[in-house]
Amino acid sequence: MHELGVVMEVVKNVEQIAKDNKLTKIHTLVLQIGELSSMIPRYIEACYPAAVDGTILENTKLEIEVLPGNAICKQCNNVFNIIKCDGKCSNCQEQSWELLCGKEFMIKEIIAC
Amino acid sequence: MEDYKVIKVKKSVYENNNLEAEKVRERLKSEKTFLLNLMSSPGSGKTTTVVRTIKSLKDKMKMGVIEADIDSYVDAEKVAKAGAKAIQLQTGGMCHIDAIISRDGLDSIGSQELDFVIIENIGNLVCPASYDLGACKNAMILSVPEGDDKPLKYPKMFSTVDALIINKIDTMEYFDFDLEAVRKRVKEMNPNIEVFEISAKTGQGFDQWTQWLERNITQWNR
Repeated sequence: MHELGVVMEVVKNVEQIAKDNKLTKIHTLVLQIGELSSMIPRYIEACYPAAVDGTILENTKLEIEVLPGNAICKQCNNVFNIIKCDGKCSNCQEQSWELLCGKEFMIKEIIAC
Repeated sequence: MEDYKVIKVKKSVYENNNLEAEKVRERLKSEKTFLLNLMSSPGSGKTTTVVRTIKSLKDKMKMGVIEADIDSYVDAEKVAKAGAKAIQLQTGGMCHIDAIISRDGLDSIGSQELDFVIIENIGNLVCPASYDLGACKNAMILSVPEGDDKPLKYPKMFSTVDALIINKIDTMEYFDFDLEAVRKRVKEMNPNIEVFEISAKTGQGFDQWTQWLERNITQWNR
């Protein structure tokens, strides 16, 4: 469970963004998490209240968007989800591919005033 | 009703770490110090491997080891006895270290005085794979008793590292460990990976490993 430390890193980032944009009140934090990143959304949600306690994000809403782990096949250029397809191209079954997305862990946006 | 607005951020949470890691690498380049990030699960023989690596290379270069552990000074004492400068970092519960901890570790050990520094990362095959420490090369140890299915279970670690050391090769006859299957699995997910078979206990296969290190250290200092 390394999510707690990581959410604290998110808090640091948001504090800086709030300072830069002169924000005083945050309503919602939107994170984007790739299916292949080492972050588990439900663990992030579980530790969020404790991690943000006493910070600018206390009592704010957390929204998580999950980004798919998609790859492009080097053989036939087909784009497929490597988790659903078990690492094999859904078109030609080739196992040689390049990852397009899925490892992200991003702060997408915040809703604030 | 307060006037809320949407502020688009689109910033990776790892961005600060990655920027710091790049700074660490630039610093190492200017100091002519090579940094190896060594990862593995607990009990794979990391400290024994480090100790034997020190003994093989200490006459050729000045070495240092940064031990990262949740607690204790056990490993730093063993390493210092082998002949390298050693410091112990205690993370106090954190399951991984990041580039800032790595930078502070290099400060404490005095990296400018050393040719080669090893960070012995926390025994864990999950979280350390996500953090760039600013190392010049990343390596991991998988030991025979752990089983040949680890690349399937922890793919991110195996696809991140430059070198895989298969340790405790002297115990092969007691375990069902398929070396060829491991080689095939890791090469599929990471075609550029270098695989070494060693026994840190007997010294078997150590020459290939230390030659790889020396080659990389020379290239880095060029």
